[in-house]
Amino acid sequence: MYSYAERLQAMRETKIRHTLEKRKQNGHTDLDDFGTVPISEGYCVEPWYNSTNGSFYGYDGMCENFCRVIDAHEPYIDKNEMLCGRWRDMLVNYRGDLHYMPDWLKNNLKNLEFIKNGATNQWSKRWDEQRFPYDHLKPLQAKYNITTGIDGDAHFACDYRIGFELGFGGFLKKIEAYRAVNPDKKAFYDAEERCVKAIIAFIQRHIDRLTLLIEEEPDEAVRQNLLTMKQTCENVRYNPPATFREVCQWTAFFNCASRIYTRDGAGFQLDGLLYPYYEKDVRDGVLDDETAKFLIANLLLIDPHYYQISGVDENDQDMTNHLSYLILEAADSINIACNLTVRVHENCDREFQKKAVYYLLKNKNGWPRFANDRALAEGYMRNGIDKKTARERIAVGCNWMCVPGKEYPMNDLVKINVAKVLEEALKDLRVEMEGGEPCSTERLFALYEKHLICAVQVTADGINHHLDHAWEVTPELIMNLMMHNTLERGEDITQCAELYTVGIDGAGLAVVADSFGALQARIEQEGLLTWEEMFEALDNDFADERTRLIMNTAPRYCQGGTVSDAWAKRMTESWVRIVKAQPMPEGRQLIPGWFSWSRTIEYGSKVGATPNGRRAGEPISHGANPNPHFRTDGAPTAQANGIASVQCGYGNTAPLQLEFDPKLAADEKGVETILTLIESHFKQGGTLININVLDGEKLLAANENPDLYPDLVVRVTGFTAYFASLSPKFRQLVVDRFLYGV
Amino acid sequence: MTKGMVADIQRASVHDGPGIRTTVFLKGCPLHCAWCHNPECIEFGPQTMYYPEKCIGCGLCHQGCFSGAKVVCGKEMSVEDVLRQVLLDRDYYGEEGGVTISGGEPFAQKAFLNDLIDACKAEEIHCAVETSMIVYDEEILKKLDLVMADLKIWDNDLHRKYTGVENTKIKEHIERLNQLGIPMIVRTPVIPEIDQQIDQISSFLSGLKNVKQYELLPYHPLGEAKREALRLAAESFTIPSAEYMREMEKYVFIR
Repeated sequence: MYSYAERLQAMRETKIRHTLEKRKQNGHTDLDDFGTVPISEGYCVEPWYNSTNGSFYGYDGMCENFCRVIDAHEPYIDKNEMLCGRWRDMLVNYRGDLHYMPDWLKNNLKNLEFIKNGATNQWSKRWDEQRFPYDHLKPLQAKYNITTGIDGDAHFACDYRIGFELGFGGFLKKIEAYRAVNPDKKAFYDAEERCVKAIIAFIQRHIDRLTLLIEEEPDEAVRQNLLTMKQTCENVRYNPPATFREVCQWTAFFNCASRIYTRDGAGFQLDGLLYPYYEKDVRDGVLDDETAKFLIANLLLIDPHYYQISGVDENDQDMTNHLSYLILEAADSINIACNLTVRVHENCDREFQKKAVYYLLKNKNGWPRFANDRALAEGYMRNGIDKKTARERIAVGCNWMCVPGKEYPMNDLVKINVAKVLEEALKDLRVEMEGGEPCSTERLFALYEKHLICAVQVTADGINHHLDHAWEVTPELIMNLMMHNTLERGEDITQCAELYTVGIDGAGLAVVADSFGALQARIEQEGLLTWEEMFEALDNDFADERTRLIMNTAPRYCQGGTVSDAWAKRMTESWVRIVKAQPMPEGRQLIPGWFSWSRTIEYGSKVGATPNGRRAGEPISHGANPNPHFRTDGAPTAQANGIASVQCGYGNTAPLQLEFDPKLAADEKGVETILTLIESHFKQGGTLININVLDGEKLLAANENPDLYPDLVVRVTGFTAYFASLSPKFRQLVVDRFLYGV
Repeated sequence: MTKGMVADIQRASVHDGPGIRTTVFLKGCPLHCAWCHNPECIEFGPQTMYYPEKCIGCGLCHQGCFSGAKVVCGKEMSVEDVLRQVLLDRDYYGEEGGVTISGGEPFAQKAFLNDLIDACKAEEIHCAVETSMIVYDEEILKKLDLVMADLKIWDNDLHRKYTGVENTKIKEHIERLNQLGIPMIVRTPVIPEIDQQIDQISSFLSGLKNVKQYELLPYHPLGEAKREALRLAAESFTIPSAEYMREMEKYVFIR
C-alpha cells in the first residue's frame, strides 16, 4: 500500500480528472462543486410524475423519485480511499424544467424520452403552482426583482447528533415508534421509512461491491484496506457509528443521500461532534493522528459540506481542541475546494487562528473563511433568542447561519434587488419633477423607502406562502431525520421548526449608496448636473461618457467618510427598520442581511442605468462589497471599515469579501497582518470574512485556458469553486473583482 | 494650522513598515534619483499627470477632467485633514501598525512633518518615516518609533551622479541617528548596472546597533509610467534577476 501522502496525491489527481470530465458532461456551472463524480456509463433514471404539469410533489412524489435516483447510483469505491460513497445526480433534475436540467441529462436520449412530455422551458416546476398558485404576488415580485424563496429547499441545518446517536436502523425504529403515536400521519411515515431503507440499500450495494473487489484484489495491503472499508460499511448500515472512522463513513453516506435529495450542503461543528470519537479511539489505541487526518481529508474530498471549527461555547469557553488542528492539517493535505469556516472569538486559541490564516496564505485556495462568534451570537439574541441557542447557530452556507436541528431560516433563499427598488423610486421622482415638484435626494430616499416597504411586504407574503405549503410540495424527507419535532410529530420541518427566523437579504447596496452619493455630490453640492440632465442620461444609458464619468467618479461607498458611506449606513438603518417592522404570523420573524450570492450578473441584467454611472444591464455590486474601482489602492481596510458600518445586527451577515494579491507571504508578517485585519473587522462588528488570495498571473492565464488549471480553486462568494468549471462570463467577473480589488 | 503638500495617502500599506499602515506621501525631494519610483513626489508644487489613453476627447478639460486622463498630484492639506484620513484605519493598526510618512523626502516639509507626527502621537499612533537621511532634525527624529532610511550607493561620486547629492552627510546622519537609539531599517534599491558596493554598505551598517534590519529592494520600473505622465525623460534600469537577488541576500540582516 502507498503512503498516506501518495494516496492523497492520487485522490487529488482523480478529483482533477473528475472536474474536467464533469465540465464535459455538464457544461459550465456557476456553482459549488458539491463533490459530485461524473455520471457513469449507462446511468439512467425513469422518473415518476404525480402532477399533470410534468413534475412531482409531496411525500409520495419526492419519496418515489428519491428512491429511483439513489437506487440508480452505482457504488463508488476508490482503493486509495478509506471511505466510500459519492453522489452524481439529484431529484430536481427530473422536475421537467429545462433550466435546471444538466447537459448530460439533456443529451441522454433515453432519459429525455422519459421526461419529454413534461419538459418545458418554464423557469421552475419546483413549486406546484397548480395547487398553490401565487399569481397575485408575481407582479410586485417582478417589479422589485425579488428572489422569493418560494420553492426553496435545504437551506437549514441538521442536528447530526441525532443521526450519530440513532444510526439508520435507529431512524427506522423511531419512525415505527412514532407511527403508532400519530396514526393519521401514515403518508409521512411511509415516505420517511422508504427513504431510510433506500439509503440502507445504497450502503448494502457498497458492501456487495466491496465483497467482489476483495475477492479480486491481489495486493494484500489494498485487500486489507478494502476489508476494513467493508467492515465499516457493515457496521454503519443499521447501527449508529461507534468509531471515528465509522462516524466519518456514516456522515459520508448521509450526506450523499441528502445531496441527492435537495443538494443540502449544511454540515456541522466538525471538531466538536467528532472529538468524542477521536478521543475514544486514540484512548483505545485504534487511531493515530495521521489516520485521523487522512479520514478527515477523505470526508472533505467526498463532499465540500459547510463545516465549522473552533469558536466558543455558551459560557464563552474556547472549544478549540486537538482535532481542530488536525482538521486544518487534513484540509491542507488534500487542498481542494473546502467550505471550512473558522469561528473567531477573543477567547479562542490565537495560535489556532494563526494556523488557519497560514493555510489560507499558503494554499491560496480560498479556505478557510472566518466567522465572528460574538457579533453573530449577540445579534441573533436580539431576536429574543437565548445565548445557548445563539451559540449553537453555526455557519453552514454561503453567507448564512442556522441552529442545527431547530431552525428553519430559509437563509440565502430570499433577496430583494434594492437597485431595482431605487429604479422604481427614480420613476416616481421623475413624475413628480414633471409635475413641477422639486427634486432632492431626501425626496428620492422617501420614495425609495416607500417602495422598499412594499417590496418587503410582498416578500413576506411569499415567505409565508412557502412556509404554509412547502410540506405538500417538497417535504424535506432526508433532513427531517435529524431535525427536532419532525419524526416525533409526523410533520415536515417546514411545519414544526422551533425557530422561524427567516433571512431576507438586500442585494445591490453599493450601487444604490453610490447612486445617492453621486446625486448628492454632483447635483446638489457641486451643481455639475441638473436632475433633468441626469434623468436624460439614464434614459440614453449614459450616451455621453463625460456625464457618466462625472457620476461614476463621485465619492464612493467604502472610500471612508464620504457621502456615499453615509448613504450606505442610512440605507442599512432603513433596511433593518423596515424588515424588522414587517409583521409575520405564527411567531415567525424576518432577519435582515446584505448579500447577493453569485446573482450579481442576473440582478444587474434587470436594472437600467443607475445614477452612479453604471450602465443598463451591468452587474450589480457583490454582497455588501463596494463597487469595483472604489479606491485606486483597493485598500482592504477601507473595505473592511465600510462593511463593518453596514452590518444589520440581528445575527445574519453582510460578508466582507476580500481579494488579496499573493505578495503577502505565508510568513509571520503575512499571517499577523491578515489576522489583525480579521480581528479588527470583527471588533468593529463584522460578521463573516471570505478571502481570496490569488496569484494574478495564474488567474489571467487560467482565464485564457482554464483546462490547463483544473486545480485552481477560487472563492466565488460564500462558496469556493473550480475556476475551470465556471462559465466564461462568471470567470471574467472573478477576474475583474480580483484585478480591481487588489 | 500647518499645511502640507500631500501627493497621496495610501491605506492598508503592508510594505512600508510593520503591520497594517497608512502611508502619507509628501511632495518634494532634494534628491533626484535616476530610478525614482515616485517621480511625482520630487517637485514641491502640484503637477498635472497626463494619461492620454484615458482621454475621452470631450474637449472640456477646463471644466474639470473626470476620465483620469489629467490627474493633479499634490493637494494642500492641513494636519487635521491628514489625521482624519489616518484615523480611518485606526482599528486596523493593531499593536505594530500605524502611519508611515514618506515621499518625496518628508523632512523637506519639516514643520508639517513635525505637527503631523505630534498629532498622530497624541492619538497614540505608531509613527514611522521613510527618508533619504539627507536632512537631520534631531527634535523630530526623537519623536519617531521607527526610521526607514535609504543608503543607496556606497561610493560618494557615484551617489552624486545618480541622485544629485553626495552621501557623506547621509552616512553621518545615519551614524548620529544610531546614537539616538531610534530603531532603524536601512534599505538599498538594487540596480544591477550600478556598482553600489552593497557589501560595503552592509559592513558599515552592521556596526550600528540600532539598525535592526538591512533590506534590499529590487528595482522595479513602476516609476516609468509616472515619468511619462509627467513628461519627464525616462531612464530605464535593469530589473535584477531572482538569481542576482539571491546572490545579494548574503548582505542583508535582521536583528
